Amino acid sequence: MPDRELRSWKSLVRERADREWRELSLEVVDELACHLADLHAAALRGGSTEHEARQAALDALNAASFLEVSKRPRARRSPVGVFHDLRIAWRQLLATPIVTAIAVLSLALGIGANTAIFSLVNSLSLRALPVKDPQRLAILDPQDNGAWTYPILEELRRRSQLFDGIFAWDTQRFDLANGGVTEFVDGAWATAGLFDTLGVGPLVGRTFTEADDVRGGGPDGPVAVISHAFWQRRFGGAGEAIGTRLTLEGVPFTVVGVMPPGFFGPDVGRRLDVIVPVGMLTTVRPERSLEQRDYWWLSIMVRLKAGQSIDQATDAIRSLQPQIREATLPINWPTVDLMQYLKAPLTLAPAATGNSSLRQRYERPLLTIMVVVVLVLLIACANIANLLLARATARRHEWSVRLALGASRWRLVRLLLTESLLLSAIGAGVGFLVARWGSQLLVAQLSTQTNTVFLDLSIDWRVLAFTTGTTVITALLFGVAPAFRAAGVSPMEAIKEQGRGAGSETGRVSFASGLVVVQVALSVILVVAAALFLRTFTKLATLDLGFDPSQVLVVTMSAERAPIATAQRMAVFERARQAVASLPGVQGTALSFITPVSGHNWGNRLEVSGGVALTDSRRSALRNEVSPEFFETYGQRLIAGRAFTDRDRDGSPLVAIVNEAFARRFLDGANPIGHTLRRYPVRPDDASLEIVGVVGDAVYRRIRDPIPPTVYSSAMQPDRSLPSTEYNLNVRSASGTSMLLTRSIADAIAGVNKDLALTFRPLSDQIGASLTQERVVAMLAGFFGALALLLAGLGLYGVTSYAVSRRRNEIGIRMALGAAPAAVVRLVLSRVSMLVGLGVVIGAGISLWAAPFVATLLYGLEPRDPMTLAGSIAVLAAVGAVAGWLPARRASRIDPVVVLRDS
Amino acid sequence: MEFTGAIREAKKGTAELLVLAFLDDEPRHGYELAQLIEERSGGALTFNFASLYATLYKLEERKWIQGRWVEKAGQRRRRYYKITDEGREVLAAQRKEWRQFFELIRDLAGVRYA
Repeated sequence: MPDRELRSWKSLVRERADREWRELSLEVVDELACHLADLHAAALRGGSTEHEARQAALDALNAASFLEVSKRPRARRSPVGVFHDLRIAWRQLLATPIVTAIAVLSLALGIGANTAIFSLVNSLSLRALPVKDPQRLAILDPQDNGAWTYPILEELRRRSQLFDGIFAWDTQRFDLANGGVTEFVDGAWATAGLFDTLGVGPLVGRTFTEADDVRGGGPDGPVAVISHAFWQRRFGGAGEAIGTRLTLEGVPFTVVGVMPPGFFGPDVGRRLDVIVPVGMLTTVRPERSLEQRDYWWLSIMVRLKAGQSIDQATDAIRSLQPQIREATLPINWPTVDLMQYLKAPLTLAPAATGNSSLRQRYERPLLTIMVVVVLVLLIACANIANLLLARATARRHEWSVRLALGASRWRLVRLLLTESLLLSAIGAGVGFLVARWGSQLLVAQLSTQTNTVFLDLSIDWRVLAFTTGTTVITALLFGVAPAFRAAGVSPMEAIKEQGRGAGSETGRVSFASGLVVVQVALSVILVVAAALFLRTFTKLATLDLGFDPSQVLVVTMSAERAPIATAQRMAVFERARQAVASLPGVQGTALSFITPVSGHNWGNRLEVSGGVALTDSRRSALRNEVSPEFFETYGQRLIAGRAFTDRDRDGSPLVAIVNEAFARRFLDGANPIGHTLRRYPVRPDDASLEIVGVVGDAVYRRIRDPIPPTVYSSAMQPDRSLPSTEYNLNVRSASGTSMLLTRSIADAIAGVNKDLALTFRPLSDQIGASLTQERVVAMLAGFFGALALLLAGLGLYGVTSYAVSRRRNEIGIRMALGAAPAAVVRLVLSRVSMLVGLGVVIGAGISLWAAPFVATLLYGLEPRDPMTLAGSIAVLAAVGAVAGWLPARRASRIDPVVVLRDS
Repeated sequence: MEFTGAIREAKKGTAELLVLAFLDDEPRHGYELAQLIEERSGGALTFNFASLYATLYKLEERKWIQGRWVEKAGQRRRRYYKITDEGREVLAAQRKEWRQFFELIRDLAGVRYA
């Protein structure tokens, strides 16, 4: 095949030119190769054998000098120089496969981790919403209440001249199942303005309008708009989906439109798969009313007028604040609260990057991990720099030959930097794959059963720029030192030294040692961080919760759509409990309004008869309603008095049980039994409850929080102010996993009332999910801490081995003069301990300085925890000892006779 | 035949003349030129192929010849060189100079050329 033959001649010409350190233009290579191929062919025609013919052409090639042909001016103009450099660099990388593989692997992990974390930061905090002109979006700062009421939205909408658009929404998980076991989909209530204000249209069908957004539904009845992903998942992307019925919370909705693929809604961190009009609230939740002035549930977003700044818009809204507040005053509120309500200023905040609770929660942890991965990359860079330096030393001879043949120093530097850049680019390429996989894995880790995290991780210019920037900086970091080392080579060195080490070698060793000190220091920081986060997680995960979550299954029963009169609900829930209690394998059952760390809270400000004086904010206590068997089922200790009994029901005196924290806060530790408590400030219909028992402290809202004062009241004396359409049945199984009981429990409850919607979740899952952030941070910090240790260990080992091989003669002579092997080991280890010691001191210093920055992420330990620091130093010392001992042992086995003979 | 001393030195200067002369009748590619020089000199004159191309590039740079990639049926793509008008003038001048030079040598040193 002539083409292949020509190619092979071309590559021979190039190699020959490389040997002479010459650049040939593509055309010249072509022409010379053509000539050689002709020579070869002619020799064959002349009767030569293939071998002879090839040899003849090769002889011509070897006898050639490329000095003159390479001076061809067009060679300089063509971009062949870069390709040429890349080709040489590629060959150099292939020539030392192990060094290259280690470097690529470290880089892939380093750059990959950086890209992965950055793409999360990008999706969560930097990327603008994929909507029209996101810079003009602003959100009404929800302040203390966390949300807004519908009447406030109405007042704002009435003043449409303020903004170019306004809408409100509330995220909601809708149950797709029609009774029985629930099947949730992430969705939202939204006003029709959502689509126009965000400036997004449907992919198929239509969005809903003001006409649809009315109580009970518009001309088409209840309508819903679905996401592209949900359309694909549920309807296989079929056009017939439009017009189909979708049952949400038992109410049939008509699908009228599908949103385009990139659209996920105004919240970053979740995707709205189903959007329904706010006006449908009362149809789905009959106990709610849009007019309710103390139902805080909506987020409000506006589109500013063109050219309007956030401050101008805030001023405009503030000028109307008195009227807006006055018109929406909550009914039945104490005067103090109303005064506060009137005064609280309305403020707009920029919302180009959307609204996100996830962002608040994860911004600091992500930033911390970002720092961690940058440090890991730096350690990797130091390692690669050391590897390349070692190789650079081996190549000094080659370089001096090149210099002697006329290559410029700049040319050498350029070539080495090309090599570094190529290495870095390959690392980044692999790293990019690692990042894609890693960031998806991380997002999956953040999701829990009740909260599916969705982040748009598609690659945008920011991620690309970040990765490219990181790649170039990385290449410069590890490539500059060897490159300048090459530039320092003298042409005469080749002749003088025959490539042997000389005076400048000392420079190489001290530079490499410096890098190792840096690595050790950075590793100390990472190991300290990893230890702090791992200990935080362990402390939280093993914390005494005040109850025993194992084998408890939480069954949330929702009577929302069950045709049960409000007054009868408790009785139905109780009958369901009894039905489950009689099942085989069930050890205990109890009803509760709230379950621990479920994300639901119920709290009041309270006053206790004979209690200590407290400020308003200190009067807050969390509350729960539980059935008699609750404390037994949860394994929560009864400390004094009694638990609830069946006699604590409607009609009998109202009773309460409090925890120890309550007694400490409200009664200064005195025995609370016999005291009464009631809401503060007292409202007309509030009754007093008598405290009849004290239980041990138990976690309520968050594991990290100090145990709050908690008041338990009897489920058989339900608080009428609660919209208790939903109640939890806690089931303790006799053995094995409680999840196995799901089927029999569902059947038993269906036997009582088939319209109850049921959601199952093991209590231990619920608790585990509340530690997601800590678990993810600990996992990442632990992984990168270990990686840092490994890299630092390798670096130390490499430098020590190199130093030992260089001092082989000296060690040999020492041994010949009678030095014992143990003395040699000491000699080597003393040097290692110096490097490790210096690194540890620097690293510990930086750790102590930086630790307070992560204080908020820690639990149960001081950021400058001495135990953690000491432990980390010990780990580093151990790694250093192993990394140093291996070469030291080798040094002690040097045979003086062999050394003396060789030298 | 191996040239030594003065003749070997002179050979270097003749390369340009020979290339121009062989391109005078028709465009040729590098390999063809090398073959022609070798054949016509009965093997007495050979150029290392890299030097031949160096000469070609030098002449091209001076615009005395012009190279062009040509693909002929059944053959591989080759770069053909063609003499330019300027090259012809240079060739004519050089021929004249060499002729005068040889006549001078003949007269002075009694060397005859066939």
